[in-house]
Amino acid sequence: MSYSERDTVPLNQSSQSDIDEIENLINYTVQSGPATVLPARPPSPPRASIPVSSSPFLPSNLPPPPQKPPSVPAASPPPSTNGQQQSNMTGFGSPPNTLTEPVWDTVKRDLSRIVSNLKLVVIPNPFREDPGKALRDWDLWGPFFFIVFLGLILSWSASVKKSEVFAVAFALLATGAIILTLNVLLLGGHIIFFQSLSLLGYCLFPLDIGALICMLKDNVILKIVVVCLTLAWSSWAAYPFISMAVNPRRKALALYPVMLMYVSVGFLIIAID
Amino acid sequence: MISLYNILLISFCVQPPGENYANPRICFFHVLFKAGALAFYILSALFSDSFVIIFVVTVLLAALDFWVVKNVSGRILVGLRWWNEIDDNGESVWKFECLDQESLARMNKKDSWLFWWTLYLTAVVWIFFGIFSLIRFQADYLLVVGVCLTLSIANIVGFTKCRKDAKKQIQQFASQTIANRFTSTIQSAFSVV
Repeated sequence: MSYSERDTVPLNQSSQSDIDEIENLINYTVQSGPATVLPARPPSPPRASIPVSSSPFLPSNLPPPPQKPPSVPAASPPPSTNGQQQSNMTGFGSPPNTLTEPVWDTVKRDLSRIVSNLKLVVIPNPFREDPGKALRDWDLWGPFFFIVFLGLILSWSASVKKSEVFAVAFALLATGAIILTLNVLLLGGHIIFFQSLSLLGYCLFPLDIGALICMLKDNVILKIVVVCLTLAWSSWAAYPFISMAVNPRRKALALYPVMLMYVSVGFLIIAID
Repeated sequence: MISLYNILLISFCVQPPGENYANPRICFFHVLFKAGALAFYILSALFSDSFVIIFVVTVLLAALDFWVVKNVSGRILVGLRWWNEIDDNGESVWKFECLDQESLARMNKKDSWLFWWTLYLTAVVWIFFGIFSLIRFQADYLLVVGVCLTLSIANIVGFTKCRKDAKKQIQQFASQTIANRFTSTIQSAFSVV
């Protein structure tokens, strides 16, 4: 809209301010890119301060804040031709409210995310539509717990040098996950660093179960059978995600190190005494 | 616990603002896990032999502290939040969020003072411990310190970026509003003429 093209009859006061407001909106939405901070409006203005639950670990008495559209003000923004902005607008549905939500809600949300990620990764589902999309909301809590758990079990099963066993197991698993992720990325794969770390951590869950069983029952044949089964389960869980991420010709190159790491962890479980 | 931190900071010649804490319980939890991880590390390194217990408890306390700072005290004490999302194209996007200007201005100064100072101070102390264990050639203690330091630095980087973006956004918005008011005043002046 160019002011030089206006004809000689001036617009009256109210429509002039409307035009200004719309122009404000256009400039504002064009400026806010994906990495800039967007101010979030607190859900109900009459509150004097930020609504907060009185104790972090008790359920809050406050009602959940009503769903409000994101912070771009009242007039709806003009249809943006930029697809990236579109996804920013639509992807912003729940986050403005998480800034002022009660603490208990945050805890529940994170716990349910861990459980859903675990189910997604570990339970085999041959009809999954797109494994690449599956671990969209990655988290590192699950992998942290599983790695520490495995290290503790190995350390417990060892009769000597318990501290070294734990430290070696933890360092091996953590470094192994990082290196495997770098491997996939360097092979030209399309996976986010943290998503892959999260995936490899969650795929350790079957080996955790195997290690627990091996610790409780000391029979060598049983150990070998259990470790082989859980190893196969872990590898089968990791296979769809890794293979979707890389070029089909390089699938074996990406998968072989993963299998190698799980096999070495399996040997650690069998050989510890 | 908070008074201990106050004493330590005052000894560094840093004065807290005069008002009272607005959210004392949140401040307490903010400081609790940090101080707990540091205290456990120091005491057990002096008195205990079992590295496994030291590692697991310290790293667990540090991870809990990371969660509390990122999700609870960051939101409530300074009104900032950061997270990572993966959008539909499979690209990773870092999102930063802050409260709007009036709520930010209404934040308790003492709360945010405690928040930022303890955040930076904890990272400095962990670096100090890291140098200490490096000098003693203790690789396993270095591992513990490394993990705790990574968690602290992640929070520092996230919140500092968030605060810088928030300030920039406020400035942009303010200058935009002033510019538009100016333009509309001029136009209304011309329309009257």
